[in-house]
Amino acid sequence: MINRRSIRFQMVGWHGCLMSVVFLVFGCFMYVSLKHYLEENLKQKLEDRAEQISSQFLFDPEALDPAWLSRQINARFSPENNGRFVRVTLNETNILFRSSNPRDGSLDASQIPRVTGEKKKGFRNERAVVLAGLPVESPQGRFFVEVGASRAPIAEVLNQAVIAIMIAAPASILVAMIAGYFLVSRALKPVAQVASTAEKITFHNLNETIPETQSGDELEKLTVALNRMIFRLNDSVGYTKRFIADASHELRTPLTIIQGELERLAQNQELPSHVRESIGSSLEEVERLTKIVEGLFALSRLDAGEAQSESVTFDFTKLAQTTAEQMSLLAEDKNLKLTCEGQSPMPVLGDRSRLKQVIVNLVDNAIKYTPAGGQVKIVTRVICTNACLEVIDNGIGIPSEAVPHVFERFFRVDKARSREMGGAGLGLSIVRSICNAHGAHLEVISTEGLGTKVQVILPLSFRRVEEGLLRIGKKLDPAPVDKLEKADRPAFG
Amino acid sequence: MRLLIVEDEKKVAEFIALGLRSERFAVDVEHDGTTGCHLALNRPYDLLILDLLLPGCGGIEILKRVRENKLEVPVLILTASSGTEEKVRNFEAGADDYLTKPFAFAELLVRVKALLRRGTKNAQNVLRVADLELDRLTQNVRRDGRKIELTSKEYSLLEFLMTNPARVYSRTMIVEHVWDESFEGLTNIVDVYVRHLRRKIDDSFDPKLIKTVRGVGYCIESP
Repeated sequence: MINRRSIRFQMVGWHGCLMSVVFLVFGCFMYVSLKHYLEENLKQKLEDRAEQISSQFLFDPEALDPAWLSRQINARFSPENNGRFVRVTLNETNILFRSSNPRDGSLDASQIPRVTGEKKKGFRNERAVVLAGLPVESPQGRFFVEVGASRAPIAEVLNQAVIAIMIAAPASILVAMIAGYFLVSRALKPVAQVASTAEKITFHNLNETIPETQSGDELEKLTVALNRMIFRLNDSVGYTKRFIADASHELRTPLTIIQGELERLAQNQELPSHVRESIGSSLEEVERLTKIVEGLFALSRLDAGEAQSESVTFDFTKLAQTTAEQMSLLAEDKNLKLTCEGQSPMPVLGDRSRLKQVIVNLVDNAIKYTPAGGQVKIVTRVICTNACLEVIDNGIGIPSEAVPHVFERFFRVDKARSREMGGAGLGLSIVRSICNAHGAHLEVISTEGLGTKVQVILPLSFRRVEEGLLRIGKKLDPAPVDKLEKADRPAFG
Repeated sequence: MRLLIVEDEKKVAEFIALGLRSERFAVDVEHDGTTGCHLALNRPYDLLILDLLLPGCGGIEILKRVRENKLEVPVLILTASSGTEEKVRNFEAGADDYLTKPFAFAELLVRVKALLRRGTKNAQNVLRVADLELDRLTQNVRRDGRKIELTSKEYSLLEFLMTNPARVYSRTMIVEHVWDESFEGLTNIVDVYVRHLRRKIDDSFDPKLIKTVRGVGYCIESP
């Protein structure tokens, strides 16, 4: 399939157009000059012949005898055999000699108009014939000699030339275009290489660079510019991560103090109950703030590429089922029906607790935004080589203009309502970060008023399912820790 | 029991010390890492509570030096990071437990007691609060002699609350104990379970045993 907007197509297209114009102009010029040359050449020959007839016969005393003249001219020049036409006129009206039709039938001698009143030397260009006329004043009288030839041979040559150009031009344009296509491809190949290298750079390997070509041209400029951009990106990503991590740490200390002090007060039975109430309310806010800090910190860790600290193959459907069981009471409490169905085993490779977090957050959201009497379904199924988990509800849905934003941090569809429900606005961002880290595809389909479906698709694992959870600190590979230290991250304490 | 707290945030150190002293522990507080390290190496403590970020000498370094000197004292790390790798690093350095800031004091106390092996876990087979009875062997729950049917989650929740009657447990602690860490941030599940538990244990009986301490959490106690 040819992409009409590609550089290759455009270059070759313009190249072809230019070549066509050049060939057209060249062809026209060739045609005109060839025609001119052939005609001039013919005229010269005819004129010479007329001169010869005049000088050889018309000054002879016997010139006035048509039989003698005819004999002499036929014997000497035999115009029929040469495809020529000869006519000698005396005193403008008396035709002394007219050659018969040439053998090749190139012209019809009787059809050539008689020259009347021609006194000057010159040419007449009839449609099919070229005529040279020569007035001769001799002692025998005033003669007018006309020598003609068919234009057909010239037309024949010109036709041949046109045909040659018509075949040669498109053929050479085509060859040039094909060659041009490959030349442009060759010239663009390093660009494609740069693009594929640039494609491999993600948030996790921003310290890598694209090999710079030392060609001193635009390509070198491109690689240098790209590398500088990656460097700046690395800087700003690193800065942001450090900022979130530092901010999270700085926030935790005062939170610890506030929580500690308030808890002590809240359990003091001597305080009046309204004071204990407001302390409790403050503590609830502290808890919410803590949740936000936790969420932000979790996200910043995920951004730092820490999402897959453990990688095991497990049954995704089973995980969904146990999670659904654990959360069933939450649904029951709102008078919702929470079901889980699907193919088992459906092995996937990843961090089990993080993927469980995905299910928990999605189901929690579905329960929050589905009114009493509704239904929340978890469906798992295998699609080709992928595992697909869907959380479907028939709740309030999401307005279509909000769908692209639901995974953004702190995004709320209905600010008042979701805050009342106690969400920090980070649950779905965390879901997205975990999915990204697992190379999972995440999609939301929602109709306002009818419900929402969230789809998580990740590749199936073909390894054996490992049973049970890994215990932190025992089976964990120490490698990520080393990596963390090398990455020169600030220590948190 | 003598405890050492090395924490540069004076207010944090203060409320931990205050709380622990009221539980009749002898508590030393140190704000500087180097002095803290010196104390930890030269005095016989029963437990060390170390913050990670300290002026002079970080918590991890103190921990490493303590372990290099073959001191078997249990160490509780206070950290501001809940990252798995951070946890792994702490455990590898020889920490016995860690606590992520901010934490509920009750949680700190539970962990301190567990580390001192003073048995936060009530070893009794039958737990009693007023006329409520929980038999750990048969998993039977009775109130006023009447058998009460509980689901397994409700049972673990009740058992957790009853191991330390009158102790207030935060929602986070309950989630961590009864569920697992993927339910962090989903503490409303605790409220739902407590409500269900109340319906079975308290609704048709007097007095009410499960109490809500607003902003803090839940506890079970006889009035």
